[in-house]
Amino acid sequence: MTAPSPARPQLFAQPNETDSSSPPALYGKRCQACGYTFFPPHAYSCESCGGAAEQVEQHLLAGTGMLQSYATVHVHHDPNTPTPFTVASITLDAGPTIRALLTCPTDADVSLGDRVQSVLVPTGSAADGNERTELRFEKVEKGEAA
Amino acid sequence: MGKVLRDLRPVYVVGVGLHRYQHKSETPYVELGLTAVREALTDAGIEWPSVEAVYNGTAQLGIAPTRIMLRHLGTTGIPMTQVENASASGSSAFRQACLEVAGGVSDVVLAMGIDKPEGLKLASRKAGVPDLVGSRSVPFTHFALLANAYMNRHNVSPETIAAVAVKNHRNGANNPYAQRQKERTLEEVLDGPSISGSLTRLQCCPVGEGAAAVIVVSEEAMPRLGINRGRAIRVLASTIRTERVYTGGKNFDAELTRETVAQGYDEAGIAPTDLDVIELHDAFSIEELLYVEAMGLCGEGEAAGLLERGDMDIGGKCAVSPSGGLLAMGHPIGPTGAGQIVELTRQLRGEAGVRQQLNARTGLAHMVGVGAVCVVHVLQKDAG
Repeated sequence: MTAPSPARPQLFAQPNETDSSSPPALYGKRCQACGYTFFPPHAYSCESCGGAAEQVEQHLLAGTGMLQSYATVHVHHDPNTPTPFTVASITLDAGPTIRALLTCPTDADVSLGDRVQSVLVPTGSAADGNERTELRFEKVEKGEAA
Repeated sequence: MGKVLRDLRPVYVVGVGLHRYQHKSETPYVELGLTAVREALTDAGIEWPSVEAVYNGTAQLGIAPTRIMLRHLGTTGIPMTQVENASASGSSAFRQACLEVAGGVSDVVLAMGIDKPEGLKLASRKAGVPDLVGSRSVPFTHFALLANAYMNRHNVSPETIAAVAVKNHRNGANNPYAQRQKERTLEEVLDGPSISGSLTRLQCCPVGEGAAAVIVVSEEAMPRLGINRGRAIRVLASTIRTERVYTGGKNFDAELTRETVAQGYDEAGIAPTDLDVIELHDAFSIEELLYVEAMGLCGEGEAAGLLERGDMDIGGKCAVSPSGGLLAMGHPIGPTGAGQIVELTRQLRGEAGVRQQLNARTGLAHMVGVGAVCVVHVLQKDAG
């Protein structure tokens, strides 16, 4: 049996690449000239100062943060994308605010300000029969701000 | 530094026309467009051969639709250019027309917008920058996230945000060109199917088909073409900006609007209190609250109060989305920004019928497009 293959593996460190007891870290980027830190990563340049790609370095962002907002999606144009699922805006402890899916399909159990962390979750079989996983975020602690 | 619109030749809107916004139909885009352009020519009281150039906002039809459509008015050989700027395509076409007249290149220019719902292809998906969410976050979810944050930050209920849709459907019910012409109660808006987060179907704009046309002219052209100057509306400012990097957890959409509108006020020499009527990008109900705050009509978190007091109603301090806005009039993409100019022109002429904001003199049109771009125009009726 083949190991499950994660969707978009270029965006985050696999659990075996870092301390396996920590949530998977995200492959962010940081501009050495202006300090701008961003995710998702790309190899073009720094959009904050226009600095060349050579001065933008990979910068691991810990997969921990706080829930800024969420929305449970009930309608999707692609029949292969089952609903509901919940999209969240998360401010990472490392700085950037990112968007990701939560592990819970609906928002029944989450509140703004909740502590969340990254986790690889199984998402079923791909067309090639292999099991797939995806990086999502799960609630680990109720927030004080809620 | 370059010049702004007001430093150049005065530009006036003298003719406006629409094809009703509607669900996708079998009607070819050619017929939709010709209907709007003929209405605008009749409104201006000029003939097609007087038009010297065309800018056409369109995002879904494929390349080069303009001459294929307008040849049926008689081929005069004039320059025709398609303008694509996502949802702000029609606004951007209008801006190009204004700049061409202001710069003295032409005296009479047609700005228009035309689209049918053929499907939007987002270039951002091909940019080589994948993220964790991909196609699972579409605009309605982006704005559902902003609605969620806004409700929490300002202690506002879903009912308050839904009230935007109630007001705009009420306005649209009196607009014969609107896609949605039915008044809706708060219960109907809230009970509708949930789309994303707190946004229900009636809090999301319908994307259908339609056409809008606007004729802009120089001051010199008016006596020469026998145009009634009393119905001409001056374009005071035309601004366009794109999104920057905003740090500190700021709302990008609100910041882009704040910057673009501030530049528009400055160029026009007006303050937010001068505005009698606004057409803005209310593709989703939450946007209207975010943008009127960013426009300085009130402080942050105060738009709900403004709405509840009726200050944004027709007859209130400043009528917002009197056409019904994108929520009720509809958002056929290419035409939408040009259609806003049609509504403002009718309002400032005093020809908006039952939707008339009394004594309206100064109006602002605002569109945003994914990517992200913001386009703002300030229109004013001459004193006298």
